[in-house]
Amino acid sequence: MMGPEINAYLILAAFLFATGALGVLIRRSPLIVLLSLEIMLNGANLALIAFSRRFGEIDGQIFALAVMAVAASEVVVGLGLIVAMARRHLDLDVDKLTTLRG
Amino acid sequence: MIDKPSVDWFALSPVLALLGASGIALLGAVLMPRRVRGPFAATVVALGFAGALTAAALVYAFTDEATSIVADAVRRDRFAALAQMIVAGCGLLAVGISYGGRRGGRVEAGERSDRRTASGGPLFGQVADVTSEYYALLAAAGAGMAFLVSANNLMTLFLALEWFSIALYILCAIDVDRIASLEAGLKYLIIGSFGSGALLFGSALVYGATGELGFAEIARVQAAQGLADDPLLLAGLAMIITGLAFKASAAPFHMWTPDVYEGAPTPVTAFMSAATKATALLLMLRLLTTAFPEQEDLWTIAVAVIACASLAIGNLAALVQRNVKRMLAYSSISHAGFMLIPIAANNALGGRALLFYLIPYAAMSLGAFAVVAARERELGEPVTLDNLSGFGWERPLLGIAMWVFMLGFAGLPLTGGFWGKFLAFSAAQDRGWTWLVIAGVAATVVSLYYYLAVVRAMYMRSGAELQLSGTASSVAAGGSPPREALLSLSVVAALIVTVGTFFAVDPVTELARDAAASLPF
Repeated sequence: MMGPEINAYLILAAFLFATGALGVLIRRSPLIVLLSLEIMLNGANLALIAFSRRFGEIDGQIFALAVMAVAASEVVVGLGLIVAMARRHLDLDVDKLTTLRG
Repeated sequence: MIDKPSVDWFALSPVLALLGASGIALLGAVLMPRRVRGPFAATVVALGFAGALTAAALVYAFTDEATSIVADAVRRDRFAALAQMIVAGCGLLAVGISYGGRRGGRVEAGERSDRRTASGGPLFGQVADVTSEYYALLAAAGAGMAFLVSANNLMTLFLALEWFSIALYILCAIDVDRIASLEAGLKYLIIGSFGSGALLFGSALVYGATGELGFAEIARVQAAQGLADDPLLLAGLAMIITGLAFKASAAPFHMWTPDVYEGAPTPVTAFMSAATKATALLLMLRLLTTAFPEQEDLWTIAVAVIACASLAIGNLAALVQRNVKRMLAYSSISHAGFMLIPIAANNALGGRALLFYLIPYAAMSLGAFAVVAARERELGEPVTLDNLSGFGWERPLLGIAMWVFMLGFAGLPLTGGFWGKFLAFSAAQDRGWTWLVIAGVAATVVSLYYYLAVVRAMYMRSGAELQLSGTASSVAAGGSPPREALLSLSVVAALIVTVGTFFAVDPVTELARDAAASLPF
């Protein structure tokens, strides 16, 4: 069975990546920023898997699996930091993280 | 029997030594009595770094020809071995710098600068003892870096990059009772992951264009199919360079650097500024020369532009800084610029220049942050140019060391920084890019101003002012400042490397030449 052309997958992947990047740049809640980072990585994953299918090779899919594991551990660290900040009663707003500047 | 890839344990031994040390240090956190945990973890991790240094030196000695090992995922060559020696050396010094600040679970006493703790109260009733975890993460980050420099395909590259990055995110935020530390950790995580995301998407595009993940195979397919101008490939290349520039903190991808360097615990900053930058730059050199020789005329220009931007932004912003850690952060951005010059040159001399420059640079950077850490522990507040006054007279050894590091950063003779800059500029000159040399020399002249400002702050103050600032605060803290033998030892080691690379320029250049010879120029 034939699915859509590779371009369709690539456009969706680029769209996901751009959505994520935009989210990181404009959203202010660190939770949403983490979510956006995940969307970026998953855009890349989709591209990897689509290309892997097109070439009929497995290495792109293995790469995507490994990326999922990495993304999960990154989120664990990020959420840990957010919990630590919430316990300090800090505002969960990346625009207000201004202790460091100059 | 099932076919399995042959694993060259000897070539992997530097990484394994560090991973082993990390594991033992973590076990110590639960098995050892509370009082000896800190010293135990520090000793184990220091031994791990020393072991990795020895192992990498042996790999260097016994590797004549570059080979791909472990199913072509990892490259065994002298380039990787020398880079691993640099990383292990950085780690060893970082343990020495950390020790005084983390003894017995006491968190960097000198660094608790924010007073907002009172409102939220301590985080876990009392500050948790994370000393063992601190050293374990340091070793884990070192292992990731040692793995990254030997990466031979895009997957190993991404995994190793995230491996050490995640360890560093936690290390930056490890002083959870300090708001600045938490903030630095979160900022580094967000911006670092953004860079990694760009790198990953770039890798996916390169994979899509060539159908290969291995560096050498990517170059081979390009040459065979004439893909040099493929838009997919070029977009991928651009995103990969962006991702690596984030890690190397080169402008315009440097926004995180000053904040993270200032907020992170000083020994972590020292380790990051030396080792992260070294590995990111070395990997960039390996990737660009091995996988993208066809696009040479494009990426050399791109790297040269990034280098110039880093030189300009790093130096100009450093001029107005009063906080010494922040000033050193901008100085490290400008050094990313200096070390991108030999990458942009893309010739054998450039490879040699980068490898050579990284050795004194790593030593100077660790040493300078070590001196800052010593002052910070003495004062109990962030070090600025103002409260550095009189430091040179109070602590003659650290004062002279700082003097040498600053002159070395500026690239004056009697320090290895001189030969590093000299080689980097010759590499650019060899390529015929005089404009890049001029930009570098101009940046050096500007940088003298803020490097000498540190020396001036340390020495050129009258006796009365000296009484006011330095001595008064150490008296207030209760008697004479703490003398830390290990920190001083690390500073002396950094000093020896910094000055030693000036006098022993020939043997070190030979090391760098043999290492650079494993790359295809």
